[in-house]
Amino acid sequence: MSESGKGVDVQGVGKSFGSVAALRDISFDVGRGEVVALLGPNGAGKTTTVEILSTLTKPDRGRALVAGHDVVSDPAMVRRSIMLTGQHVALDDMLTGYENLVMFGRLQGLKKAPAQARARQLLGEFDLEKAAGRRVATYSGGMRRRVDIACGLVVRPEVVFLDEPTTGLDPRSRQAIWDLVNSFKEAGIATLLTTQYLEEADALSDRIVVIDHGTIVAQGTADQLKERTGGTYCEIVPRDPADVYAVAEALGSLLPQTSRAALTAESDRVTIPAPDGPATLTTAVQRLTSADIELADIALRRPSLDDVFLALTGGPAATSEKASVAGEVGS
Amino acid sequence: MTILTTHRAAPATVQQWWVLTSRLIAPSLRNGEVAVGIVTSVVATAGFYIPLNRLMDGPDLPTSSYAQYLLPLITLQAIAFASVTTAYRAATDSVQGLNRRLKSLPIASLTPLVARISASFYRCAIALAVALVCGYVIGFRFHRGPLDIVAFCLLALLTGLALSFIGDVIGTNSRNPAATTQWLLLPQMIFGYLSVGIQPVQRFPEWIQPIVRNQPISQIVYALQALAGDSLPGTAPVTWSVIGPALAWIIGLIAVTVPWAVVVYRRRT
Repeated sequence: MSESGKGVDVQGVGKSFGSVAALRDISFDVGRGEVVALLGPNGAGKTTTVEILSTLTKPDRGRALVAGHDVVSDPAMVRRSIMLTGQHVALDDMLTGYENLVMFGRLQGLKKAPAQARARQLLGEFDLEKAAGRRVATYSGGMRRRVDIACGLVVRPEVVFLDEPTTGLDPRSRQAIWDLVNSFKEAGIATLLTTQYLEEADALSDRIVVIDHGTIVAQGTADQLKERTGGTYCEIVPRDPADVYAVAEALGSLLPQTSRAALTAESDRVTIPAPDGPATLTTAVQRLTSADIELADIALRRPSLDDVFLALTGGPAATSEKASVAGEVGS
Repeated sequence: MTILTTHRAAPATVQQWWVLTSRLIAPSLRNGEVAVGIVTSVVATAGFYIPLNRLMDGPDLPTSSYAQYLLPLITLQAIAFASVTTAYRAATDSVQGLNRRLKSLPIASLTPLVARISASFYRCAIALAVALVCGYVIGFRFHRGPLDIVAFCLLALLTGLALSFIGDVIGTNSRNPAATTQWLLLPQMIFGYLSVGIQPVQRFPEWIQPIVRNQPISQIVYALQALAGDSLPGTAPVTWSVIGPALAWIIGLIAVTVPWAVVVYRRRT
């Protein structure tokens, strides 16, 4: 990978399995030292994307470069440059943790002594020294995952693919993997991470690519995505729920007409768009104070990534409803 | 920070083959694989020989003793058990995602297959050695020259090779280690019991004799019996008409299975 080159460069990639279109025209990139999260529900095409990029599956259309090498015409060079951790741990259960590490080192071309030294080093880094001599079949899920990832680091990768690396892990193991991703970033390695956890995408990645039904529905930083789903809004909760109509009256022009119409007898709060942030909040407080309405809570809110995710992927909450969250009146 | 290294991938095919072969051989002593292989051969020998020895003796037995007659079947049973282990390991690699991981590494697509077959060859060699020792204990002896002994061993190992390829492909495709080994016992029993390895063909009911005589295990048994020879002149001579059909069956099986295996391992959806 050249100094300026991208770690991953995907242009218009499509893939079908029989009559099922798994991916349609996917385009995105991952720079050196960048962490990109591929976020989407089950069956969105995350794993297919990772499989294409790690040469396990051939794309039907489009072009994908990994560390500067084409995944179709030069898979051998791609394989030399990547580390892949799949959704399921892939180790030799008959061997010990140490033997697995030595095996993967030697498969990557290390001679016996350097492979053994590297294995011991990684066992130390991953806090596995005590279990080194036990068969990995006896390990806990978190330990197996750590060995699995360590086996991918026996040589230095240029591009790392982590396919749902923290699924089913305890918080401590999850934190260890988060730390690891940050060290990839510092080392200038391009990392593509797939996840269903918004929290993880938000905490780890520089950019998020949201994928659903094989299509990229949005990409950008977590902040940009949150902005896209309607920006900041202000939520007002009167102490007496019966006051919601009085609140709506007092807010006047701050409350869009459609939201006013949506108020019902069950509503206990009013939500208004807050394009000016604190200034909007101040105006609302002034109007409500002069109308002498007692409040339980008033606060500025930003849509969470959960809101974004559900809005973009048409999850449990209907898309249209969530997309207009800033004008919505909660109940 | 030592979590990352400056080592770069520099794969070498021969080293990869050896690493992938020894990963299967190294644990075979400590995980009981070799021990079970030995015990299985001993039990198979005892299980055939003790109840059948006196029953099978008779004027129509072409050899001087039942031990002399039975040894080829004991050898083939031992080798068949070894190839069931191969199928088990192939299914395990497949279901545990190891094959998938190896495909994402800079390893030639057929290296893992060749390594598993190599390890299977090692198992077959142990099985053959144990079977010969068991045979010696019950009274079997080689009665021809050293070249015939070598040919006997090669023919047995070649059979093992064919069965290993079949076991490996079935295991890889099934992705279910337990079911694979269960199912593979079926052909082993059918071809083993309905063969001339257990008794001469004329002692089977007439209607099934053509099947018994011509099925591959019987053909291989004829060839092995010829190569082993006997103290009495009653066994078939070592001629192409005796050895040829066995070789043809084995080469035919390999010729069908190897391309199938290559397709399975090269597959990239």
